[in-house]
Amino acid sequence: MIGVFKRLKMWSPRPLKKTYDVVIIGAGVHGLATAYELARRGVRNIAVLERYYIGAGSSGRNTAIIRSNYRTPEGVAFYDQSVKIYEKMSVDLDMNVMFSQRGHLTFAHTEQAIAGLRVRAEINQLTGVDSRVIYPSEIARLAPAVDLSSRPRFPVLAALYHPPGGIIRHDAVVWAYARAASRLGVDIHPFTTVTGINHGGGVVTGVDTSRGAIGAGTVVNSTAGWASTIAAMVGLRLPIVSHPLQALVTEPLKPFLDPVLVSATLNVYVSQTDRGELVIGAEIDPYSSYSNRSTLPFMEASAAHVLELLPSISSVKVLRQWAGVCDMTPDYSPIMGFVPGLKGFVLDVGWGTYGFKAGPISGRCIAELIHTGVTPDLIKPFSITRFASGEMLGEKAAAAVSH
Amino acid sequence: MRMTRQEISFTFDGRRVQAFDGDTYGSALARARVDVISRSFKYHRPRGLLCCAGRCPNCMVTVDGVPNVRACVTRAVDGGTVSGQNAWPSVRRDLFGAFDRLDRILPVGFYYKTFIRPRAAWPVYEGVLRRLAGLGSVRRTPRQADHATKRHMFCDVAVIGGGPGGSVAALAASQAGARVVLIDDQEQLGGHLAYSQATVTGDDVLNGLRGPEASARLEKLIRENPLIEHLPSTSAFGIYEGNLVGASRGDSLYRVRAKQIVVATGAFERPLLFHNNDRPGVMLASAILRLAARHDVRAGRRVAVVTEDDHGCAAALELASSGFDVTALVDSRPAASDQERSAAVRSRHIPVWEGATRIEVVGRSRVRQLRFDSGGGRRSVNADLVAMAARPEPVVSLLAQAGAKLVFDGSTGLFVPAECPANITAAGHVEGISDIAGVLKSARAAGTRAALRALGQPVATPARPLPGAPIGAAPPPPATRKAFVCMCEDVTVKDIKLAIHEGFDALETVKRYSTATMGPCQGKMCHSLSAGVHAGITGQSVGKTGLTTARPPFQPVTLAALAGPHLAPERQTALHDRHARLGARWVDMGEWKRPFIYTTVAEEYRAVREAAGIIDVSTLGKLEVTGRDAGEFLDWLHPNRFSDLRIGRVRYRAMTDDAGIVLDDGTVARLGPERFFLTTGTGAFDAVEQWLQWWLAGSRRDVQTINVTSELAAINLAGPRSREVIKRLTGADVSNKAMPYLAAVETEVAGVPAIILRIGFVGELGFEIHVPAEYGAHVWDTLMDAGHEFGIKPFGVETQRVLRLEKLHIIPGQDTDALSNPVDSGLGWIVKAEKSDFVGRAGIAALGSRSGRPLLIGFEVTGGGVPAEGAAVVHQGRPVGRVTSCKLSPGLQRAIGLAWVNPEHATEGSALSIRLGEGTSGTTTAARVHLAPFHDPEGARLRGGG
Repeated sequence: MIGVFKRLKMWSPRPLKKTYDVVIIGAGVHGLATAYELARRGVRNIAVLERYYIGAGSSGRNTAIIRSNYRTPEGVAFYDQSVKIYEKMSVDLDMNVMFSQRGHLTFAHTEQAIAGLRVRAEINQLTGVDSRVIYPSEIARLAPAVDLSSRPRFPVLAALYHPPGGIIRHDAVVWAYARAASRLGVDIHPFTTVTGINHGGGVVTGVDTSRGAIGAGTVVNSTAGWASTIAAMVGLRLPIVSHPLQALVTEPLKPFLDPVLVSATLNVYVSQTDRGELVIGAEIDPYSSYSNRSTLPFMEASAAHVLELLPSISSVKVLRQWAGVCDMTPDYSPIMGFVPGLKGFVLDVGWGTYGFKAGPISGRCIAELIHTGVTPDLIKPFSITRFASGEMLGEKAAAAVSH
Repeated sequence: MRMTRQEISFTFDGRRVQAFDGDTYGSALARARVDVISRSFKYHRPRGLLCCAGRCPNCMVTVDGVPNVRACVTRAVDGGTVSGQNAWPSVRRDLFGAFDRLDRILPVGFYYKTFIRPRAAWPVYEGVLRRLAGLGSVRRTPRQADHATKRHMFCDVAVIGGGPGGSVAALAASQAGARVVLIDDQEQLGGHLAYSQATVTGDDVLNGLRGPEASARLEKLIRENPLIEHLPSTSAFGIYEGNLVGASRGDSLYRVRAKQIVVATGAFERPLLFHNNDRPGVMLASAILRLAARHDVRAGRRVAVVTEDDHGCAAALELASSGFDVTALVDSRPAASDQERSAAVRSRHIPVWEGATRIEVVGRSRVRQLRFDSGGGRRSVNADLVAMAARPEPVVSLLAQAGAKLVFDGSTGLFVPAECPANITAAGHVEGISDIAGVLKSARAAGTRAALRALGQPVATPARPLPGAPIGAAPPPPATRKAFVCMCEDVTVKDIKLAIHEGFDALETVKRYSTATMGPCQGKMCHSLSAGVHAGITGQSVGKTGLTTARPPFQPVTLAALAGPHLAPERQTALHDRHARLGARWVDMGEWKRPFIYTTVAEEYRAVREAAGIIDVSTLGKLEVTGRDAGEFLDWLHPNRFSDLRIGRVRYRAMTDDAGIVLDDGTVARLGPERFFLTTGTGAFDAVEQWLQWWLAGSRRDVQTINVTSELAAINLAGPRSREVIKRLTGADVSNKAMPYLAAVETEVAGVPAIILRIGFVGELGFEIHVPAEYGAHVWDTLMDAGHEFGIKPFGVETQRVLRLEKLHIIPGQDTDALSNPVDSGLGWIVKAEKSDFVGRAGIAALGSRSGRPLLIGFEVTGGGVPAEGAAVVHQGRPVGRVTSCKLSPGLQRAIGLAWVNPEHATEGSALSIRLGEGTSGTTTAARVHLAPFHDPEGARLRGGG
């Protein structure tokens, strides 16, 4: 309990220097984790630039689901590393990020969907990740509030159960990284907008910002929904389309739902936070946009769909809805690493709807990449060159509504 | 009128409470002197009525099992069961109230700093924290009968707010000829006029009337106006793109699409900051007045008014006029600026204390005294009610949501709209106009302007004077332990101070750390209060701090209202009741219900392989594609060719997307020079039709598509004796010579016009018969009758899957996924590389440069067992593939299937090791790659010669 008397000093405002070795654009979990991991490797003179407040973008808007039950061995191995870092994060960064591993259930409402879940269970098990296909009797034990009767139009037939999955206090993760990075000497500059990237002869030399030009040896693009606009500053066109993703939250209720529930058929997922709110979300909006504005049809559809799973919450009220912007790639997998022909520019983008859960391991890998100049094996499959060679990754099925 | 009110009663935490019909639970509890209605979120402090307008969290209770109901605006029902929340054993005596003393060890964000070590203990701590958090419980009972409704409304002008401003705006708009929807969250129109004793001036229809009379006048005028539809007790919770207003009343949702929106949401008081500003009996001045006027309930007798601006004088006078004993007006300013009003207060013998500091409420579950420093000494005033009278703030949230720009008016200390989005007008008090005459004038003009614009006349928006110059830094907030900024989350001034000192310097990060403004009131009570405190601590002006983002919904909306009636449509084929009569078991395929099986796979299988079977394939998507360029268009959309298809012939089709990924398959039959008949997989027809339309849009091709999926029933007749069956039903020559394999014939079957396609998914002589849906049952019956002597049997989807698997025919979506190209899916034969170009060509061409691509292969299980679909193919403990389809073959008496495997395992005869699926602890069985069809590999039966 002694911890409560500690005055956590979060991050310290520092003057903006003329030159940095590494400039990271975007102070979300990816940018801050990269900065922290670089500093841990002994790299000094790092700046993280953020056009708004720290964690204002997708890191502050996502629904904080952590899991590693992906579909390809590459994806599973990668996200599993992230889960492991998250499990130790509270201790390592000395802030309780409230990682709540209450399990993750992905429902199947058709025979074919069961087979789809089984593919994931099989790959997970063979990669050493705990998940398995379970049936209504076990679902009833894990989530008694779920309607397992034949009343719904598409009754629940089975689920992929992933015990290590859960939710986390996403803002705390951002703050914990910001504080840790700041303590190691990283300069974090909120309210500093990047307006251009200086480059020539295939080399990036710095960035222009709303507070003046900064020289930089390496520039990292970790700007999620705005990744393509930053890449355009160096004339790079990414295979990314930005789509809005919306969510809503209800009033707080006493504990009534432990695991995260996901249904692709119903296009909805729901979890209950430690504060008691139900967080409800869906797949990305079908149109591309940079808008953060919420819509009424999203709320209507999500409500209708969640009541198919949890009919007892019909009188629960929605308090708030919001939207974020997701950088979607054609194969629902990220783009990470150097860009051929452009020295000093690093991509950590294409994070779509699954970026938050990957933040810690991405930061670690990108830091290693910058520090050593060698692409770590774990992120080799995510190179931008795969779009030219056609070697895409098959994560669409596992990444869609589940996020 | 009050004489005749009917008495009712309900229970609150087991105690019977008397009420009058027309009471809210809140007003009845106030009348019954029940002070403590709820317990606060974190410290479990006693809370009572505060706003009496459904905005704050302090009266949230559980009513008849529904949690978090606001007692103050919920009509009391005879026999209702009301209970307190977040307390044990009751809100009156809550043992968790002890937390109130622990505030020093439970500061803001304490949970981020504690329970970190040991790691393993966190789930235990978490369990405790979770149980302490949360308000209200959900009963795990299924939803009752559907009562939710959804109404779509369209109008020229939507007016939000039925106070004097909104009502007059609605009247003005209707006078200009507009159809108006007036949305008001109160039961009666007129807003605060109902409890205001002042005389109204400034608008012809209300001039000279006292508040309640003016209110009644508005009610009558609007009721009698045929152009205005008034939605009472309905909260407009959001303004969305396209001028869509979302509004709700209970479990009813209104979607109001308006050409113009007038936002007349008025202004509302906010709490003031002093020690114990949350005690039961500390209320907004307007709340006290509203209770008295609407429900004839006096929330107390002796009221002390606390203020920090001139609104305090007005409130004190109103309270005195309403019969309250006003024991003090306590003003934190050194002197009132409105000397005239101040004198009026004094003339009514109300003691006025100015320059008050260290204001404090004494009393635990009810206010007893107000103490403060003034005039050089500590003062104490006896009161059982404290009225917080801060200048009402414009309710700008809906405007902010809609994208209005807000500016901070330094002269009043309020945020007001500076610029509204197109088609949205702010009117009345929400604009920052506080005198009634000004409000009515602004509202009438806004209503007229909105109407004229909606009716197509351009009207300029009058220039508004810029608000007063920004004032300097906000004053520092009081340094006290229990001055609550955010009632929902129990955030005090001290908490905000701590957060800022810890480095959360931006208002948005302070919000997220302290959770101020994130509770059930959605910031309605604390948005600007927290901005003011933040500014005061950081030494900025509130104008610089700004407000946090306004997000919908402005008022909470039930999931039931948003969801609307529970509609679960299902599609049935024209033959549905035939299957039902035959006792079919059903399976969902997209929206369709299809017969899964009728009897047993073995029985149905035998009928198809040895005699004849029929299956309802009406769920196949069917499109007619016609026009001069139809053939060329189909060539463009497919890797194979259709422009060279002869009339009267049918050909397999598989479609690829831009990247060369298999989308769907089916057939194309050519029925005329410019007439093609295309079938798609069940559930794919929407996507395929859209895909066709997408490529047609703007292409100038002469192509038309007609979706005839629902128009035609389709029956597949298959089996060695199928020709004998169909022969009896048609005059057409069905011999193999006249109607060979892959023939497409328009003829009559059972006296009904039909298209017959000579194809066979199940690997037997087969006839796919398409007939008008209304004759589907007739044709089915006739076929069954005709086939009786040959042993015909209906077969379901499950049997069909087994039959097709023996032929290794793939099902896109089951055997392929979002990465499957036709070449690796075993459909390489359809790719005509010599074709000039087609959708997906580049993707397929790029395959050549990639090695190690997995391939879709057939296999037979040699080691026993039936691997589950989705099971992994393993090699030395690592995944090298996955099973997409696997069934027990009645013909072979062993499991066969399709699987994607890495190329080194994909050659004929390769040994595979396949896991058996869940419940087998990773057990594997042996299998062998089998590339040719298991059944009739030469296709002799399919072609049906002889």
